[in-house]
Amino acid sequence: MGKLDVKKETAGDRLNLILAGTIDEDIDFNQIPLSGGQIDIQMSGIKSINSCGIREWIKWMGTAAASQITWHECPKVIVDQINMVEGFLPANAKVMSFFVPYYNDDAGSEKNVLFRYGTEFKEGSLNPPADVKDDDGNAMEMDVIEAKYFKFIKK
Amino acid sequence: MIRTGRGGVEGAILGTVKRRGISLRYKILILLTTIPVLTLAAYLVLAMRVFESDKIAYVFDSTSNMSGTLATQVKTQLNSVLITCKPIFQDYFSTFSRTGQRAFSPAAGVSLQQEPLIGAVAAYRVKEDGGFEQTSLVEREPGLWSRILESQRATISADFGLAQKQGRLLRAPFGDDRVLLFEKFETGQETTIFAVVTSLSEISEMFKTAMSQQMYLIDRSGSILFGPQDTGVRNLRDLMSLSILADPGKKVVQGAETSNGADGRPLLVSYSNAGFGDLIVVSTVSREKALSAVSMLLRKSLIFFVILICLTVVISLIASGTITRALTSLFAATQKVSEGQFDIRVDVTSNDEVGALADNFNVMAAEVSRLLEQTAEKARMESELQTAKTVQETLFPETRSRLPGLEIAGFYEPASECGGDWWHYCEVGQRVFLWIGDATGHGAPAALITSAAKSAATIIESMNVNPAQAMTFLNKAICEVSRGRIMMTFFLAAFDRRTQTLTYANASHEAPFLIRRGESELKKRDLIPLNEVNSPRLGQAKDTEYQETSVQLQPGDMIFFYTDGVPDVRSPGNEAWGEREFIRTLVSVYKDFPSAEDSVERFVGTFQSFRQGSQLADDVTFFVIKNEESGGV
Repeated sequence: MGKLDVKKETAGDRLNLILAGTIDEDIDFNQIPLSGGQIDIQMSGIKSINSCGIREWIKWMGTAAASQITWHECPKVIVDQINMVEGFLPANAKVMSFFVPYYNDDAGSEKNVLFRYGTEFKEGSLNPPADVKDDDGNAMEMDVIEAKYFKFIKK
Repeated sequence: MIRTGRGGVEGAILGTVKRRGISLRYKILILLTTIPVLTLAAYLVLAMRVFESDKIAYVFDSTSNMSGTLATQVKTQLNSVLITCKPIFQDYFSTFSRTGQRAFSPAAGVSLQQEPLIGAVAAYRVKEDGGFEQTSLVEREPGLWSRILESQRATISADFGLAQKQGRLLRAPFGDDRVLLFEKFETGQETTIFAVVTSLSEISEMFKTAMSQQMYLIDRSGSILFGPQDTGVRNLRDLMSLSILADPGKKVVQGAETSNGADGRPLLVSYSNAGFGDLIVVSTVSREKALSAVSMLLRKSLIFFVILICLTVVISLIASGTITRALTSLFAATQKVSEGQFDIRVDVTSNDEVGALADNFNVMAAEVSRLLEQTAEKARMESELQTAKTVQETLFPETRSRLPGLEIAGFYEPASECGGDWWHYCEVGQRVFLWIGDATGHGAPAALITSAAKSAATIIESMNVNPAQAMTFLNKAICEVSRGRIMMTFFLAAFDRRTQTLTYANASHEAPFLIRRGESELKKRDLIPLNEVNSPRLGQAKDTEYQETSVQLQPGDMIFFYTDGVPDVRSPGNEAWGEREFIRTLVSVYKDFPSAEDSVERFVGTFQSFRQGSQLADDVTFFVIKNEESGGV
C-alpha cells in the first residue's frame, strides 16, 4: 500500500479499518475492498491527503454505497476535505468524532480536542467544551475558522 | 572485440585518456618469463655446484682406489722379484759361510738363467770407510753390469748410500721397464747390499698406458720411477706441488688433494703408499677432465634451459595475449567512451573477473548512454515545458487592474514550469466574473486542463449566464477533456456593480474569505468564508448541477480568493506555513483595508519571507478584489 498503513478487522457483518499515513496518487484502494453492512473507519493516523488522493478516496467510498459507514477520530486534514470537497463525505457516511485543534499563542501550546457525536456535536448543532486549557492551565482557543471548520455539521 | 551502435552522444566533453607506458601484455610476458629464468638459473647454479662437489668426491674416491690398487700390485711385483732372487742371495751367503769367499757360486748363475726377468745381481760389501765394494756378480749377459755402472756412474754411489740407509731402494734410471733394486742384508758385522737388475714391464706398462688419469710411481723425493710416456720430467715436483713432497719426513699412507699442474691447470691428486721402500703411487687427473661430465651437463642444461625459455616465451605470449585481449578490448572501448561514444559494447566471453568487468562496463556504458539520452530528452522536455509556460502565462490576466468600482490584484507562481492553478477575471456587462481553480496535481497535465478551462471560460463569458450555469458548462468542458482522470476545484463569482451583490458557485474549492470592515479591529472571526454553497469538483461527474448563492457586498469589502497551495508554502526546513499563519497574515494584512494591490504585495512579502526561496510544494495562486469605498458606480 505504500504510504498508507491499513489494519483490517472483521467481526460478522462489521468491518473495522484503521488508517494511518498519507493518501496520495500512489494509493491503491482496490486492495482494501469495502464490504459489510457496517464499516467503521478509524482515521486518527492519517497525516495528509492531496487532490489525487481525494479523487481516489471518493471512488473508494463510492464502492460501499450499500453500507453504513462511520468515521471516527477524523483529523483536521480530513475535516478540511469534508468541508471543502463535495462528496468527500458520502451520504451513507457519518462522522462520529473528529479532532478540533486548539492553541495558546502566548504559551505556544497546541492540543487536539476530540469532538464526539452526541456530546460536543450532533446534526446542526455544536456544543464545544466551555474552556479548553493546556497542560499548564492556560486557556486555549480554537485554531480554526469556525464558520468553515464546522460547516459540515450544519448541513 | 568491440561493437558500436550508432554514433556517440554529441556534446559529451570528457577528459583525455592518459598515455600508456609498457603494455600490460608485455608486463605479463616479462613476469612469466623472468620467474622461470631466475628459478632455472638458480637451480642450475645450485645443481652444478652440488654435482661438481659430488663428482670431485667420486673422482677422488676412484683415483684413490686406482692408486691403492697399483700400489698393491707394485708391492706384489717387487716382493716377487725379491722372492725370485732369494736363492741367489742365499747362495752368496752360503758360499761366504762355507768358503769364506764373498762370491756367488755357479749355482747362482744357473738360478739367474732360469729367471728371465732378472738381468744381473751384484753383491756389494760396505767397507769400513763407508764405501761400497763389489764382491760378486752374476749376470745374464756379460758386461751388462759394467755398462750399467758406467751409465750410472754419477748416481750409483748415492743410490747405494741411500739403500744402506733405507734398507731397500728402487731406481729406474734406464728409461725403459728395467729397474735397479737395492736390497740390504746385515750378517754379523758385515753389511751386504744386492743390486738387482730386473724388468718390471708389467708395472711399467700399467703406468704408461694412457688412461683418463695419469699414474706415477715415485719415491719420497718425488723422483718418477714409472709414469706416463713422454712426460719428459723426472721429478714430480716439476709437474705439480704436493703436500707430501713438501715434507719428505711425513709418513704417507693414502690421501688426496687438489693441486695445480705445471701449466697452472688444477689437478685432482690421489696417492697411496706402495708398502715397498719409500715408493708412492700417485694418481692425477685434470680437474677439467674430471668435471667434463659436469661441463657436458651444463651445456645440455643450457640447451634445455634455452628451449624451456623459448617455450615459456611462446606460452607466455599466448597466455598474456589471451589475458590481455579482453583488457585490450576494454581499453579500446574506454578510449571510445573518452571520445564521447557511449553506445559501444565489449564482447568478452570469459567467465572470470575480466568477463565480469566487461559485463559491468557494458552495463555502465549502456547506463551512461541511457542517462545521456535521458538528459537530452529532459532538456527537450524542459524546452517544451518552457514553451508551455510561456503559453500558459497568456492564460492569466493582468495581475493589477482597477475596473469601475472594483480593484483587482493577484499573484500566481507555479510549483514547476507549468501549473494547475488558474485565475481570471472579465467584465460581462455590469458584471465582473471572477474565476479561480485548481486542477488535480500540478505540472503539464494540470496546465493543459487550465488551458481547457480558459478556452471554455472565454466562450462562457459571451453567453451571459450566471455562475451556476457557467460552472455547469465549465464542468462539461473539463469532463470532456480530462475524462475523469484530472479534476478541478473551482470557484466562480460574478460581482454585479449595480446591485453590489456577489453571486457565486463553488466546485469544492477553498472558500474565499470575505473581509468586511467592522466596528472594531479586524479579527479572525471577522473572516467570512463564502461557503454557503458547494458542489462536486469539475470533471467528477458530467451531469453535476451546480448551486449558486449571493451575498451583498458593502463598500470597502474585500474578498480573498486562493488555492490550497497558499497555506502549504514550505520553509527551507520543509515546515508548512499552515492555516494558522495564513489566517494570521490575512488579519494582519487586511486590518487597515489597504488597496488590493498593496494587500497582495504585503501578503506576498510575508509568505516569501517565510519561504525564503524554497521550492513550492504546490502552485500558489491568490487574488483580491476590493469593492470601492464609494459603493459602486
